[in-house]
Amino acid sequence: MPSDDTAETIAELDTVDKTEGSRWQPAPLTLFGRILGENGLGRWGLFLPVGFLLLFFLLPLMLTYVWSFFERTQFWMKPGFTLFSYVNFFTSARLENFLNSMWHSSISVAVAFVFGFPIAVFVRRRVPQVAQHRVILLFILPFMVSELIRIFALRPVLGRNGLFNTVLIDLGIITQPITSILFSPTGVIIGEVLSFLPFIVFAGFLSMEAVPKYVFEICDDLGAGRVRTMVDVILPLAAPGIFAGSVFIFVNGLGVALIPDILGGPGAVNAGLIATQAIAALDYPLAMAISAIMMTTLLALLYLGHRLFDLTKILTPFS
Amino acid sequence: MSGSKNPAVEVQGLSKSYGSVLAINGVDLSIGAGEYFVLLGPSGGGKTTLLRVIGGFVKPSAGKVLLHGHDVSALPPDKRPTTMVFQSYALFPHMSVARNVGYGLRIKKLPAKAVLERADAMLELVGLAGYGERMPHELSGGQQQRVQLARSLVLDRDILLLDEPLAALDANLRKDMCFELKRLQETIGITFIHVTHNQEEAMTVADRIAIIADGEMIEVGTARNIYEHPIKRFTADFVGENNILDGTLAAVEKSKATIDLGFGQVDVPVDNGTATKGATASFSIRSELLELFPTEGNLPNGIQALNGTYDEAVYLGLTISHMVSLPNGETINVRNISGANEAQGLERGAPARVGWPMTAARLHIS
Amino acid sequence: MTDKYGSIWTYRLKWAYTLLVVVSLLMPVFYVMYVSFNEHGFGAADYTFTLDWYGVIFKDKLLLAALGDTTILAIITTIIVVPFGLLAAKYYKRTQRKVLTVSLLLSPLFVPSDILGSALLVFFKNLSKIFEALSDWLGNEWFYGWFDLGYTTAIIGLVIYILPYVFVVILITMGRYRDEQTEAARACGAGAWQAFWHVEFPQIRAGIFSSCAFAIILSFNEYTRTSLLKGGYDTFTTVLISQFLNEGMSEQSFAMSSAVSFIAIAAIGSIIAFTLLRTEKLERTARAKALPVMST
Repeated sequence: MPSDDTAETIAELDTVDKTEGSRWQPAPLTLFGRILGENGLGRWGLFLPVGFLLLFFLLPLMLTYVWSFFERTQFWMKPGFTLFSYVNFFTSARLENFLNSMWHSSISVAVAFVFGFPIAVFVRRRVPQVAQHRVILLFILPFMVSELIRIFALRPVLGRNGLFNTVLIDLGIITQPITSILFSPTGVIIGEVLSFLPFIVFAGFLSMEAVPKYVFEICDDLGAGRVRTMVDVILPLAAPGIFAGSVFIFVNGLGVALIPDILGGPGAVNAGLIATQAIAALDYPLAMAISAIMMTTLLALLYLGHRLFDLTKILTPFS
Repeated sequence: MSGSKNPAVEVQGLSKSYGSVLAINGVDLSIGAGEYFVLLGPSGGGKTTLLRVIGGFVKPSAGKVLLHGHDVSALPPDKRPTTMVFQSYALFPHMSVARNVGYGLRIKKLPAKAVLERADAMLELVGLAGYGERMPHELSGGQQQRVQLARSLVLDRDILLLDEPLAALDANLRKDMCFELKRLQETIGITFIHVTHNQEEAMTVADRIAIIADGEMIEVGTARNIYEHPIKRFTADFVGENNILDGTLAAVEKSKATIDLGFGQVDVPVDNGTATKGATASFSIRSELLELFPTEGNLPNGIQALNGTYDEAVYLGLTISHMVSLPNGETINVRNISGANEAQGLERGAPARVGWPMTAARLHIS
Repeated sequence: MTDKYGSIWTYRLKWAYTLLVVVSLLMPVFYVMYVSFNEHGFGAADYTFTLDWYGVIFKDKLLLAALGDTTILAIITTIIVVPFGLLAAKYYKRTQRKVLTVSLLLSPLFVPSDILGSALLVFFKNLSKIFEALSDWLGNEWFYGWFDLGYTTAIIGLVIYILPYVFVVILITMGRYRDEQTEAARACGAGAWQAFWHVEFPQIRAGIFSSCAFAIILSFNEYTRTSLLKGGYDTFTTVLISQFLNEGMSEQSFAMSSAVSFIAIAAIGSIIAFTLLRTEKLERTARAKALPVMST
């Protein structure tokens, strides 16, 4: 039963007199409105971060190719076109070290995969849906600690008198401390695995997240054995994620100077270290050449992965 | 000062494409002030897009939208005299019902007391008096839609847009809400534009209906005309239960035309002069206007008939549908109220004759 | 819960393995913390709990100055990168070229820190020279020093590094948000900013705040890009590394590293826990309100 208030409201609402027509007129545009357009900052405001990345990220990286062909001067470089830096790099001792570091990075990828991927499978398949993200987030925790500290902390752990050796000696498993796990390729590999293993877990999990859980249940229903399921179903479905994670580890293993610098032995380098050493030596074109080589490797790998696996599948949770 | 006498909403040559997909293709429409106008059509046909263009949520690729005679194509939703009720999920979950309803008024910087008063009055109007302090997630679907109505109507704008507002409700509730909407519109008197794919809904509430499919406007008319006198074949196919048969025009006269169906010929009334002999045509006849006649004997005057074979009867509660197979393989549907003509005693495969008054059929040229 | 075919023991074993891996990843840091409390320092046979080393670091003027600078850096970066992430997420939702956009936004993850740092360093040096030339041509000093290595360049580097993380967090938070609500607010007369502030922001607040915390911690911890791009002043991480390299792992370094790591882990850990608990509660109510009950 409408009350008096309601009747009043209705009377006020009766703006459209059918015989008279509406008196509505569009409001005139303010000066501010004219500048910003009808939707305010909407139009180009949203583009700001993308524009920022294009300008300060994409552009400098593309320019490294240009700069790598410049000539070196005493304190800077001179525009020109020369292959000197590349020739220099490919004919020097650095090349062998670089190739070694590629090999070490590959080993890191394999080790990370073996240790990390089963976790992604386990979380996706066996952990209840609501808890899955929480468990995956556990692997974020190491990143809350500076990469610097994490790498440096391995020195007291892997060193002669470090935790690892002390524990093993105390348990009587060995009598002499193992010295080859620090300041050696092994140290580098351990450092890379510990630094980047979470990414294989994330990437593997993400690409499997795109697959509904019932696919895995169908495997069980059909009675597929563990190995068969793994090979025929899980690996192909998770392939884009595995590949992306592997590329990430590989490229960062090559590019993060800290790891060989702190954990590697004498003369251990990777591309990142060569580049920063070159900058310290004011040989900018060389640094740019290394960067260019690294990025070409990265792009080639990503392109390869896309052709093989269609990496865009990983991005489906985002759409 | 008298206001504009223009139609409340005018759409001229409107097109909208998303990439290569043409969602709306050159639509022209005119809606008068105070009308309850329904956009009816199959899902994905462009009616929702059209509504959103009128509301300002989508920018058209071509064409103009005029509200009360003013070109509003460049205006965002908040600057138009329109407001909108959505299908679902549109109540603000972190605000109470009263704050939801009063939101627009607060934007207009009305004093708090006035906001509260108007919100309460509006809630009473939609039948939710006293629900002000509840939170949206505590309400049922029907109640949520009413809050949306209150929220929109309290702004006293001229045009209310409704985007499939009853789609998420079950059938019984939908019927009740239809009557409520009609009542509200008649009480308040503003223009309602209502999008739906449900015919019954459309017929219950509408003053006029526009059939929109595949991005095009097929036909516009009052509910009665759309139902009883559809002009386009698509309309006949979409609204009501029509039997449609295709053929070619064998002869055209002043008041009737003859269609050759291949296995027989029928006469249909003609009321416009666009029929030409030899053209492809079809005719439709509503299933409730058909009757089963005995296969021998004379037909009453003015009755057209086709012979076929009886298939089966389907009992639907209020009505029974008798399915009859025609010689060309198609099935014709004879719908009678249960209880009448039931003692036909026809068996599957028995010859049957279906007849209808010639004037009840409709001719469609494409 | 677990599927019907596996045994409960395999499940527990796999859980144990997962946790073991997480612990191993963190173990070096825990060890450092352990040592930092030891009066006798690293490698000593005895262990005496003490907080002395922490006292020492608080008296270290250089370190405190660096901490101050780093905090400023972190705050400014966060103020820039979180709105950027929000704008990027909105852009992503609206654009047609989704794959291209998200690839661009995530690509900083794939470029290693030293490579990006070197490239940006050269870029900024070049940019500085160009701007100086422009200034000379105009006959004044307006454009001097814009892109000299310092705060600005370090912040740009940090923003690029952190943007992907913030973008993902905000995008995932926005995944729960229904756009109809913004439209409904617009239909009620709210402008674009009002609709965002009144309706959308309250619902994505949690994600925004977690990304702020995330951003602060990430910028605090970042080393390579910052060291290359910062120019003359010291940050927390650069002081740390110079100490490491010069004095080896001194007791102070242990204490310093532990202090910061502890705060970081505690901060993020609690945010994660809080956000997840809150999301669970919100999810339950959201499930109730998202599906209208089929009755009057």
